[in-house]
Amino acid sequence: MGSSAVRVQGLWKRFGQQVAVAGIDLELPAGKFIGLVGPNGAGKTTTLSMVTGLLRPDHGTVEVVGHDVWRDPVEVKARIGVLPEGLRLFERLSGRELLAYTGRLRGLPGAEVDKRATQLLDVLDLAGDQHKLVVDYSTGMRKKIGLASALLHNPEVLFLDEPFEGVDPVSAQTIRGVLERYTASGATVVFSSHVMELVESLCDWVAVMAAGRIRATGTLAEVRGEAPSLQRAFLELVGAQSRDAGSDLDWLGGGSR
Amino acid sequence: MSAPAITPVFVRLKLSLLRNGLRRSGAQRVAYIASAVIALLFAVLQMVGLIALRGQAHIDALVVLLTAVLGLGWAVMPLFFPSGDETLDPTRLVMLPLRPRPLVRALLAASLVGIGPLFTVCLLAGSAIAVARGGAAYAVGVVAVVLALLVCVAFARAVAAANVRLLSSRKGRDLAVLSGLVIAIGAQVVNFGAQRLGSSGLGELDPVADVVGWLPPASAIGAVHSVSEGSYGVAAAQLALSGAALVVLIAVWSRHLTRLMTSPDGSTLPAAGSAARERTSSGLGRLLPAGRTGTVMERSLRYVWRDPKTKAAWVTSLAIGLIVPVFNAWQGTGSVYFACFAAGMLGIQMYNQFGQDTSAFWIVAMTISSTRDAYVELRARAYALLLITLPYATLVTVVTTAMLGDWRRLPEALGLSFALLGAMLATGAWTSARFPYSIPQEGYKNVAPGQTGLAWISIFGGMIAAAVLCAPVIALTIWLNVSAGGDDWTWLLLPVGAAYAAGLTAAGLRLAAPQTARRLPEILGAVSKG
Repeated sequence: MGSSAVRVQGLWKRFGQQVAVAGIDLELPAGKFIGLVGPNGAGKTTTLSMVTGLLRPDHGTVEVVGHDVWRDPVEVKARIGVLPEGLRLFERLSGRELLAYTGRLRGLPGAEVDKRATQLLDVLDLAGDQHKLVVDYSTGMRKKIGLASALLHNPEVLFLDEPFEGVDPVSAQTIRGVLERYTASGATVVFSSHVMELVESLCDWVAVMAAGRIRATGTLAEVRGEAPSLQRAFLELVGAQSRDAGSDLDWLGGGSR
Repeated sequence: MSAPAITPVFVRLKLSLLRNGLRRSGAQRVAYIASAVIALLFAVLQMVGLIALRGQAHIDALVVLLTAVLGLGWAVMPLFFPSGDETLDPTRLVMLPLRPRPLVRALLAASLVGIGPLFTVCLLAGSAIAVARGGAAYAVGVVAVVLALLVCVAFARAVAAANVRLLSSRKGRDLAVLSGLVIAIGAQVVNFGAQRLGSSGLGELDPVADVVGWLPPASAIGAVHSVSEGSYGVAAAQLALSGAALVVLIAVWSRHLTRLMTSPDGSTLPAAGSAARERTSSGLGRLLPAGRTGTVMERSLRYVWRDPKTKAAWVTSLAIGLIVPVFNAWQGTGSVYFACFAAGMLGIQMYNQFGQDTSAFWIVAMTISSTRDAYVELRARAYALLLITLPYATLVTVVTTAMLGDWRRLPEALGLSFALLGAMLATGAWTSARFPYSIPQEGYKNVAPGQTGLAWISIFGGMIAAAVLCAPVIALTIWLNVSAGGDDWTWLLLPVGAAYAAGLTAAGLRLAAPQTARRLPEILGAVSKG
């Protein structure tokens, strides 16, 4: 395996009484399509926020492509693209204006930004809505414009937090196509999700997270092991037993009310 | 299975919602209780005041107008505070199999529960007692209070149901944010009216009240007065009018409610005729400098126009900055120095810069990796502000001077204005980095719950610091004005003030930049609570 894209050591984050991330060590290989999977509340968003420099960890170090996120932000920020979950965009700009703004803030020349923006809007099927304000976009369109602004400066590593959450199948397919093309060129994608089928069909490397800890890492085959699907392997890893719902809901279904 | 009566269910739901207001964190609970207590105290005091005014001349005109204002308040309330009452939004009930008639009854009963209705009852009861004379009048009074309250509540419900599509759309929410302006302007009108009444007596009210006394719900209270006067026919007509209004309002409400409950939710459909305009790069964009500076300036200026919260703040600042010096000059009580108000009010816009970005600040944070980046970012925001503020403050100062004819003092007034503006920019930049707070995008609040203290430190601490920073220029102004022969040198205050302002701004930005660069995650956390 080549060099690592992300190296995390002893990462901790506590919010009041709640430990969100409980000392994780993680090494993500470069050039892979990596899935960070786990149930809601597992600490995926917190981890990604700390890895991308948007949240300060209580302890631990994060290196992205060999540079410390907190000590060397100049090197790191130029090399990563981020699509966070639950944070706004500058929604009173139109889609095109948002791309123009982000690209120029990134220090790209104006003409280059406009050229790339046109192509991204085209590929992501947003060209028709490029002059609409982002505030009037649907969820799928927001994710796509967010992805476009994350890709604009051609980052080496792309971090996506729940990029398919609430996205319709057509937009999801578009996003998928763009991401597959991007990783094929040797770039790294790290994305979080709790939809196992999606992770299974997209990723070649997975890290399983639950209750603030890493439960398993490795290639898809390694993590899946003997289990028939990633879903089953995941349920075993996080220790969720399938409850026997036989007698409790005996009134459910059938003809009588 | 027989359907149980739903009215008690809705009343209990409303009571639970009221009670749940208490189940929040400390500061919020205190605020909730305090506002309820103050509202009730105010209502009781008003009631006592009205009863004390019993028998005074023109009291009949006063209570009729008061009831009319109350009715108007109920009518516009749902437009400005759509989230004020969660049971007001019938679309939440759309999935439940409810018939319109029991639903209207249940919702009406539920609306009678709460602080607002209690406040209204206090005021209406006080009004009725203030004008009632004799047993018949009191009997009519009881009917009138109930009728007027029902009209008020049905009015609010009908308006809310009729506008739910507007209120649940983005444009409607934008409109609600601008409600603060309407209230501010309304307060000015009331202030002006009160001054006029103070100078020429309550008699001015009588002709207005004669008309308003026939409009529901004021006509119900008018009926109490008519009975006291012995005009039973008029009273009957007035009561009938209010009764008819109630019937019409409930019918309108019921019709809208039925349509809302049976037709698909419109909030996700694109509003007609909202085809996206081509937003081409404006001429301004091409005039701005390239790189981060121009990019940030362009976005800031776009937000002044497009973001309702930012727009409301700017319009308020621009209006008050103009009104205070110019109105005072107009009334002959002004001074040229009042013109500094414009600079001061507009300087406030530099405060909490990153809070104005909301959590979208992450985009900025991702592109700031050095103190230099942070400096350019802050400087560009200050430039954008100056682009509007500098000409505006100059204009207001010149207009004020012209109205007062005090041209000799123009240079020093301008110098002071600029110095104040510079001090506000400097302290604004620093507090933006040091004490950021969230501005909720919905509703009329400008501070997220729990961050009020932070906002006070930021704004008032900053303003005091700005005043202190201005002290040298103020001292110089005073010295030149009192010392013999100093008058010949007051022109110096213009260049001195401007240079001092430029120096202060530069120093403030230099101090704020490293703070910003170092505290990016903390700032993002603080501004993401809205």
